[in-house]
Amino acid sequence: MIVGGGVHGLATAYYLARNHGLTNVAVLEQSYLGSGGSGRNTAIIRSNYLTPEGVRFYDRSVKLYEELSTDLNFNVMFSQRGHLTLAHNDASLRTMRWRAEVNALQGVDSDVIGAAEVGRLVPQLDLSDTAHHPILGGLYHPPGGIIRHDAVVWGYARAADALGVHLHQGTEVTGIDVEGDAVRGVQTSRGPISTPVVVNCTAGWATLIADMAGVRLPITTFPLQAAVTEPVRPFLKTVVVSGSLHVYVSQTARGELVFGAAVDPFPSYSMRGSLQFTESVAGHVLELMPALAPLRVLRQWAGLCDMTPDFSPVMGVTPVDGFYLDVGWGTYGFKAGPVAGETMAELVATGKTPELIAGFDLARFAEGRLVGERGAAAVGH
Amino acid sequence: MTRLQPQPGEVIDRDRPIRFRWVGRDHQGYAGDTIASALAAAGVRVFGRSMKYHRPRGLLSADFHDPNCMVTVDGEPNVRGAHRLVRAGMDVRPQDTWPSLRFDVKAANQLVGRFLGPGFYYKTFMRPARLWPAYEAVLGRFSHGGHAPSEPAPERYDHRYVHPDVLVAGGGPAGMAAAAAAAGAGVSVLLVEEEQELGGHLRWGGPDDLAALRDLRAAMAAGSVEVLTDSVVTGRYDGNWVSVLQRAGAGGATGTVRERMVKARAKHLVVAAGLIERPYVVGGNDLPGVMLSTAVRRLVNLYAVRPGDRAVVLSANASGAAAADDLSRVGVDVVRVLDARAGEDITRIRGRSGVQAVECSDGTVVECDLVVTAVGWTAPLTLLTLAGGRATYRADAARFVATGLPDDVSAAGGLVGDGTLEQLIEHGRAVGRDAARRAMRVASVLAAGVPGAAVPAVHDGHVDVPALQPAPHPELFLGATDGIVDYSEDVSAKDLRAAVREGYDSIELAKRYTTATMGPAQGKLEAVNSIAAVAAATGADLAATGTTTGRPPYVPVSLGALAGRSHSLLRRSPVQGWHDAHGAVPLYAGAWIRPDHYGDPVAEVRAVREAVGLIDVTPLGKFDLRGADVPSLLELLYVNRWRKLDVGSVRYGVMCAEDGVVLDDGVTGRLGPEHYLMTTTSSGADAAHDWMERWLQTQRRDLQVHVTPVTANYASINVAGPRSRELLARLTSLDLSASAFGYMRVRTGRVADVEDCVVWRIGFTGELSFEVHVPAGYGLHVWEALLDAGADVGVRPFGVEAQRILRLEKGHLIVGQDTDGLTQAYGAGLGWAVKADKPDFAGKPELAWQLMREDYLHLVGLQPVDGTAVPPEASQIVEDGTRIVGRITSSRMSPTLGRSVCLAMVAPHLTAAGTTVTVRLPGGGSLQARVMPQHAHVDPEGVKLRA
Amino acid sequence: MLIPCPLCGPRDALEFRFVDETVRRPEPQSASPEQWRSYLYLRANRAGAVTELWLHRSGCRQYVVVERDSLTNTVTAARLARKEAVS
Repeated sequence: MIVGGGVHGLATAYYLARNHGLTNVAVLEQSYLGSGGSGRNTAIIRSNYLTPEGVRFYDRSVKLYEELSTDLNFNVMFSQRGHLTLAHNDASLRTMRWRAEVNALQGVDSDVIGAAEVGRLVPQLDLSDTAHHPILGGLYHPPGGIIRHDAVVWGYARAADALGVHLHQGTEVTGIDVEGDAVRGVQTSRGPISTPVVVNCTAGWATLIADMAGVRLPITTFPLQAAVTEPVRPFLKTVVVSGSLHVYVSQTARGELVFGAAVDPFPSYSMRGSLQFTESVAGHVLELMPALAPLRVLRQWAGLCDMTPDFSPVMGVTPVDGFYLDVGWGTYGFKAGPVAGETMAELVATGKTPELIAGFDLARFAEGRLVGERGAAAVGH
Repeated sequence: MTRLQPQPGEVIDRDRPIRFRWVGRDHQGYAGDTIASALAAAGVRVFGRSMKYHRPRGLLSADFHDPNCMVTVDGEPNVRGAHRLVRAGMDVRPQDTWPSLRFDVKAANQLVGRFLGPGFYYKTFMRPARLWPAYEAVLGRFSHGGHAPSEPAPERYDHRYVHPDVLVAGGGPAGMAAAAAAAGAGVSVLLVEEEQELGGHLRWGGPDDLAALRDLRAAMAAGSVEVLTDSVVTGRYDGNWVSVLQRAGAGGATGTVRERMVKARAKHLVVAAGLIERPYVVGGNDLPGVMLSTAVRRLVNLYAVRPGDRAVVLSANASGAAAADDLSRVGVDVVRVLDARAGEDITRIRGRSGVQAVECSDGTVVECDLVVTAVGWTAPLTLLTLAGGRATYRADAARFVATGLPDDVSAAGGLVGDGTLEQLIEHGRAVGRDAARRAMRVASVLAAGVPGAAVPAVHDGHVDVPALQPAPHPELFLGATDGIVDYSEDVSAKDLRAAVREGYDSIELAKRYTTATMGPAQGKLEAVNSIAAVAAATGADLAATGTTTGRPPYVPVSLGALAGRSHSLLRRSPVQGWHDAHGAVPLYAGAWIRPDHYGDPVAEVRAVREAVGLIDVTPLGKFDLRGADVPSLLELLYVNRWRKLDVGSVRYGVMCAEDGVVLDDGVTGRLGPEHYLMTTTSSGADAAHDWMERWLQTQRRDLQVHVTPVTANYASINVAGPRSRELLARLTSLDLSASAFGYMRVRTGRVADVEDCVVWRIGFTGELSFEVHVPAGYGLHVWEALLDAGADVGVRPFGVEAQRILRLEKGHLIVGQDTDGLTQAYGAGLGWAVKADKPDFAGKPELAWQLMREDYLHLVGLQPVDGTAVPPEASQIVEDGTRIVGRITSSRMSPTLGRSVCLAMVAPHLTAAGTTVTVRLPGGGSLQARVMPQHAHVDPEGVKLRA
Repeated sequence: MLIPCPLCGPRDALEFRFVDETVRRPEPQSASPEQWRSYLYLRANRAGAVTELWLHRSGCRQYVVVERDSLTNTVTAARLARKEAVS
């Protein structure tokens, strides 16, 4: 029984069926498929993380994404147009070099480039040295890019459905039955279901689902907002990120500019957007690309992000037998969808924790072994 | 189309012709014309082409929301041509023209039509995968909109803050009545109208409407209501925080402000947004010449434009009849009026580049060049649903209405229901009076929350708001044949049906799959028809199908208006002007601008090592701590011990978070029995302040300590080098001799005739040095005095880069560079500072446990075997080629030693002095480096700084 | 979102900094690793009524205990942290 009909839940179901032949699998979704974070994120894919473990994990995800259209027979429009993180000071250049070096050692293409090359990649950027946030260089990651997020959800859903997985939309989980230390079933808005295995693949509501099984999580839920502009003709190929300015920008195939930022300054389960968000994101975008002032923001929205103390997910087993976690995805869940599905499916099917996710276990918090991604905090997109 | 004789309500000024350019040719309109009306008067029928099929498109609603009239004006893309007024000399260009506006791309239509069904992207272009980038480039041609500007425009944008008691969104009859009534009740009112003038539908109405409009406008002019026209409420956020985009008039006297975002903290919001007319979905409904009845009435009555010559009208309401009357009055041949209420219908509209004929439900075919539809209204509920209201479908009225509004929001007029003009005005008045009453109640509650504020009296009278119900209206959404549902996205009823058939069977999924209602109009015209199309395909009714979530902004808002005036807030030391004038290369460090160097950082290092240098360290966080319990606070904040610090001494402290991670470091001195000056890192100052107050206010409320941030109260100058004592002694009467003023001591006194300077003797650079904290107003004076006094001893200023080299030579770490987000005190080599026997301090348990572990990285001094090689910072230390066992955290060529020096984090098995490690260099290659016995490369014994 | 600061009156949340849920700090001398790390990392993260610590950073710089509904962001109460019973 998989809770959550987003990319993580659907991918887990798909790989359970495809890789392990398990089709007695159901995905429970309280709303419609992809209605949560999967349909609200800014669809950026990259693998240039800071720790070797992080790089290997997300690199596997990029590889799976590269094959996904063929694999699912559904074009997810993965556009590997390059991902550029801007450096506005020495400290960020140093962190970028750190990332680039770790990436290189894992075989991931990502390089520190100078301001001139940044200007060649994105001519709209203001490269003048009078800017408060002058552009000193950047970390360029050619395999990074954007994808059509809904298509990933739909592609996995169609493929899982074709393999015999049951997809239940409009089905909210209201309780988890635990006897002794083992899962016995789930209660839903449409009745009880008996099952020995529950995989929590939710984002935003991960704490509430885990509470039902009596498992406490190191998670605080924050809204993450995004906005798009009206479409204009394609001019921005690269995904542009500025950590210091807390903003990232990409242009979709439809011509809209998509903006994102850091999570909201306080936790909430409310998904109403704020004016402060669009104001600050607009200010920061114009600091980077002043010519874009007349472009208009068409809509803003918010999703919920389950933030963990070390900017890494919580995956694997729990003290409750049969209750698995694939949660705590912060602002980086979408890019991990395929690899999370693949590894969670392997864990559930074989009972053995794959090496790729061993470091993301829940026990690390009680044991004080946090993951080093915290070193590269700020905006991680 | 042609210009008509003067009309009673026309808004054009025929005495003021205006010339502008369209597709490179000169055109003329009048002041008051929109781009669309001027062009329509000149006979232009096609304003653009549709996104996917590139079908010609003409005016549909002839207002801001018209999806078919997006143009580029003087390089500004996506301008609403049916709203923007003509201006002399403006250059207007069409968009979405492929290959050109005039050329009918029939071949292209046929080419793309085969595969442009809903979701076509997802089902095609997958194989071979290597060709996807090429496909992507082709698909880019199907993006729409204008071109993004490549150069910044000279105009500016601005913000304004207002605090109206009542904000009224919509200046039609009900909105004006509400505003006037609220103002009459004695509260402040801001009235916001989207169009260029107040009046709403009265503006394009008949003589009675115009007479009523004159009265209402006169009342507005006489009253105290502030009116913003050509302005629109774009969002309502938590706490009645209302954003208003002011377009026209934002420039004021100078005319250089293009748009202004007016942000209102409204005590009450009245939404009187009126109604939006809905198109009819039937084959051919996107041909130029198919218009809404309100569009026809606008063109005729406001702009005196003849919309066509032979018209067929499909009408289900009074607006259709009025449009037919208007057309007849100005001499348009109204060849047929079909009464939809009697079952008459249009089954298809024929034509190629414009309307040629309509097929009627009785089988007749009527030739015409204008088709007018009046088939129903959509209530724009966005602001109400953003406020928490719920959209509920009323089948009897064929529209959604809002229910469940919060106390501080109400709706007035047509948005609520239908009625005579008198009824609408009466409703507006009552809502306005009620709004004033509620706003006063909010004012009273707000004032009651402010200690000491006068609380205004509340008159808790009741206001009877008359009921206003939507009038019965037939449900007319989808006609007998498939037409366009979403004009800007080029989505047809057939596309939505196909999406449902493929399993995208909820309104949210169908919307995402087809992109219906996701275009620039955000569903204002199209949303209800989309719901109807999905409902028809699923067999559900509209109520069960429901709406999609409305999201701000109500209309698109420019990035410029959102950003407002560009502010760049920088903190500057009082000496920064001197730095600028003396060739300092600036360094932006957090909020501060600082001198990185003055041209030659190596010479600056030498001056400090051999003579004396000055560095401006004003950005250091500084806190004045007073009270009997300061030592207790410091004991909690820092891992070190503070109880025994005597008056006149300073100590270096290490601050850790509760997880034991190094948070900050700095020097604190005891100036008096109950008086301390504490310094922190520049970037950590704010966090340290919050952290101190958190201990005092939430954990140890018993401690008697006053914390005053004094970072900006002092200019801080570090005088460093073997001759620093000699230099400083020339400007102070303080006894600086080694015996009187030892290392890690502090004195307060006069420096360069400035009283109350705090001087302490510390050694971040590794040299004999005195840090002078000068009352900020005298910072520049003391700086210049030191330079003047020290010319003969070789004083020179040094910047941050020289300081970085000096401290690295000395092996002093920088928190955040040589440590990271997981580095605990022992890993940073700061274990010597930890006094584990203290009963409590932040991070104590974690540090105790860290001592029992061996799995963490350690900071060590490191020197490349080849002293000429400097491994870049962040170079990785590896074993077996690829296994990462550490990294270089700091590296420089040491001018003092003539060799490269580093600090590095290494795995525990590599910490022993003399261990050789392999450093992998960015860009290939590697070098060997040796672990040193200590962090310091220069003067590890500390002889110099104790001199 | 408005927070009714006990000293300054109702102010926009932008003037404040969210600090944390109110959590009890274990006795550092005796806390077990599990207790201490529960204090460091585990949060109730409730959907609904929450009690939180905020700092009126751009105002009176007082720590304020805020009662809030995390589903609607409605603030129902705010009290000075230094006047709270010691937790």
